[in-house]
Amino acid sequence: MDAESISLESVSLWRITWRRLFRRKSSIVGLIIILILIFIALTAQWIAPYDPLQVLIGLEDVKMREAPCVHLFGCPTEKPQHILGIDGNVRDQFSRLLYGTRLSLMVGFSTVTFSIAVGTVLGALSGYLGGWVDNTIMRVMDVLLAFPSLLLAIAIVTVLGPGLINALLAIGIVSIPAYARVVRASVLSVREMDYVSATRALGGNLFEILFQRIMPNALTPLIVQGTLGIATAILDAAALSFLGLGAQPPTPEWGSMLGSERNQVFTAPHLVFFPGLAIMITVLAFNLLGDGLRDALDPRLAQGG
Amino acid sequence: MRGNTLFKLLSLLVLAGLVLAACGGTSPTADNPYAEIPFEEGISVSADSCDYGGKISSIEATDRLTVVFNLCKPDPAFLAKVAFTPFGIQPREYLDYAGPSKLILEAPVGTGPYRVAEWVRGDHVTFTAFENYWGTPAVAATAVLRWATEGSARLVELQAGTADMVTNISPADIATVQADPNLNLIFNVNPNVFYLAFTNTFAPWDNVDVRRAVSLGLDRSRIVENYYPAGSEVASHFTPCAIPNGCVGDAWYDFDPEAARALLAEAGFPDGFATKIYYRDVVRGYLPQVPNVAQDVQAQLLENLNIEAEIVVMESGAFIEESSAGRLDGLYFLGWGADYPHVTNFLDFHFGEANGQFGTPHPEIFENLVSGSQIADPAESEPYYVAANNAIRELVPMVAVAHGGSGTAYRADVTNAQASPLTNEQFAVSDPGGRDVFVFMQNAEPISLFCADETDGESLRACDQVIEALYGYEVNGTAVVPMLAEVCEPNDDLSVWTCTLRQGVTFHDGSTFDANDVVATFTMGLDASSPLHQGNTGIFEYYDYLWGLMNKPAE
Repeated sequence: MDAESISLESVSLWRITWRRLFRRKSSIVGLIIILILIFIALTAQWIAPYDPLQVLIGLEDVKMREAPCVHLFGCPTEKPQHILGIDGNVRDQFSRLLYGTRLSLMVGFSTVTFSIAVGTVLGALSGYLGGWVDNTIMRVMDVLLAFPSLLLAIAIVTVLGPGLINALLAIGIVSIPAYARVVRASVLSVREMDYVSATRALGGNLFEILFQRIMPNALTPLIVQGTLGIATAILDAAALSFLGLGAQPPTPEWGSMLGSERNQVFTAPHLVFFPGLAIMITVLAFNLLGDGLRDALDPRLAQGG
Repeated sequence: MRGNTLFKLLSLLVLAGLVLAACGGTSPTADNPYAEIPFEEGISVSADSCDYGGKISSIEATDRLTVVFNLCKPDPAFLAKVAFTPFGIQPREYLDYAGPSKLILEAPVGTGPYRVAEWVRGDHVTFTAFENYWGTPAVAATAVLRWATEGSARLVELQAGTADMVTNISPADIATVQADPNLNLIFNVNPNVFYLAFTNTFAPWDNVDVRRAVSLGLDRSRIVENYYPAGSEVASHFTPCAIPNGCVGDAWYDFDPEAARALLAEAGFPDGFATKIYYRDVVRGYLPQVPNVAQDVQAQLLENLNIEAEIVVMESGAFIEESSAGRLDGLYFLGWGADYPHVTNFLDFHFGEANGQFGTPHPEIFENLVSGSQIADPAESEPYYVAANNAIRELVPMVAVAHGGSGTAYRADVTNAQASPLTNEQFAVSDPGGRDVFVFMQNAEPISLFCADETDGESLRACDQVIEALYGYEVNGTAVVPMLAEVCEPNDDLSVWTCTLRQGVTFHDGSTFDANDVVATFTMGLDASSPLHQGNTGIFEYYDYLWGLMNKPAE
């Protein structure tokens, strides 16, 4: 087997993965929604009709918690159009929701990046070095896993103080064990393989062995875990903000938007419904994509491939 | 054989106990493990001198039905104060028995139309009608006090018929209640004030121009129009106009963002500054939508003064402790609802010499308050309150924002529904449509039922059903009416008040009400050296603020 055929095979593996992913309609739906959300997040300042922090009292003839007004659906044209209504502080709900996309995706990606970075290093060191290092790291991870993740995040935010950055940090910290365990398991499964032993015999250093030989083979479960982790992170951040521990007013964050209007579920349902729907759709999209990736990257399904 | 002997010995001991109990001079009843102390000689409590700073020199039971209050200085508001719930009378014997063990915190014994049957923590308090009540008996045989912090939860209970009456309807729910034929709504006219406070010991609030700039740069009418229910008004003075001498003197500043920015620049902050807005997320009649108002103030400060304010939500108890001690370095939201309808209740508490919540108190304000508080005739004391209100306006220790209205909703078949201006609704006079049980829902659970040492309205409302003071407030009103006293009469300079007590009043434990019960109750509250002066927190805030504590340990 020459170098060219190896390269061809490697390319075709990814191609097979993509083909498997796109064969699942649910994965495509998830991916499309995520792409739309990314587009919204990147272009929020151009597509949002209002500044999300702008209080419209005195600027427009609108009332607090006014129902959606869509000209197309019969709302009088002399009234300003607010397609998702007005919130409890007389701001445009639609604009706030669009800007909230930016924040939610930022939360999801940044916390997962943080957790993967830390979790990967810890898991890799733990799996490769073994012994007391493995024991120490994994027992700490076990302790973290022993707490319900949201409760632990609440405890961390309580200590650090409420705020978006602290909430991100808290969610990131509670997510580390999941990635550390995945990476450790992968490292354990490949560290005694011949190509690793060969690198070791050739005098490869720890960094080279771990990150050039072992880690590429541990990437698959990490991608799946990471995609599903984004959904969990968004949900946790929304929960923390709902409880007043995450994003602080007037930041447009879906969880805090939902929390601040929770009492208006009967009187102004649009203020609770739309942020809730946004959270649900985003989490669903990442879950669909994560499930699809898991199936596509699962070698046991290769034959079906 | 040995067991038989032991049984006989035990039986003898029980019998001997029963005989001893039966032969006692005054026998405790089956319910009362303490004996009633019959009135033989009047007791008294007195301060060594009036140098202790309080208002009471001595209280004496001169005979079985007469109590004399000797004051250190004239007090025209004596009746309004003595009618306040924390000064409700409990039996002398019960204070001795239940005070030290703190049983009194959960099981108060009073003379009211209801007695406490049970308090299921976290759920409800049940009251049953007191069969030997001296006044008009309670209409409903049972009253239940429940609570829910969320306005929507209270409304749902009312709509479901599981509550007869609920307080503090959220402004957003008012239209729902008005549209429901099965429900009625009363707008409450509780004299209250919501204010935005600063502590002048922290920069930049030590600069009066900065405080004045915030006052000018805040559109208070925008807040009231958008976040308060109908019946609320923008505060022209700290004290509502419903209180005599409340709104004398110059009205508060008009909204003028230009002038505010100029003043802030003059004070050395042309580009604004960063600060914090502290509040507790607790609904009150004076502030029905706290988070929304906080965000609006935040937006206004940024827009009009370029002040960037971070919102900090605090736990209620910690917030009160920190703000009262003057330890909050930013702006904070607080308010006040009338305890008794007198201007001293608003101004003296907040701007008195002893209150450090706004930082260093201003003599320009408190000296006028001291003078005004000693004059009975409102017309005569008016110049002092004009001067005090003008000084408040000039020195801006806080920004008075609104006098809030709130709605109380009830089932349409309830008669004699109330929305008391002093938030002390009397369950006994309401008829829940002929049903046996009257269910009332409020914002929160009482902290304890020992109101001598509580300040929150939720506890006081519960105590109001059970405990009575020498005077009380008329139902749905603010006028004082005699309760356990038939009359309290002052001497010429209002420094001695002689109270003639009502005859034939019995407490819930069956003991007879007399003058010593009054003196014992006030001793427990006033004398910090008394072994009974324990309470829930031991602070006895209302005793301290309205009368002054005797023998207070040095701080």
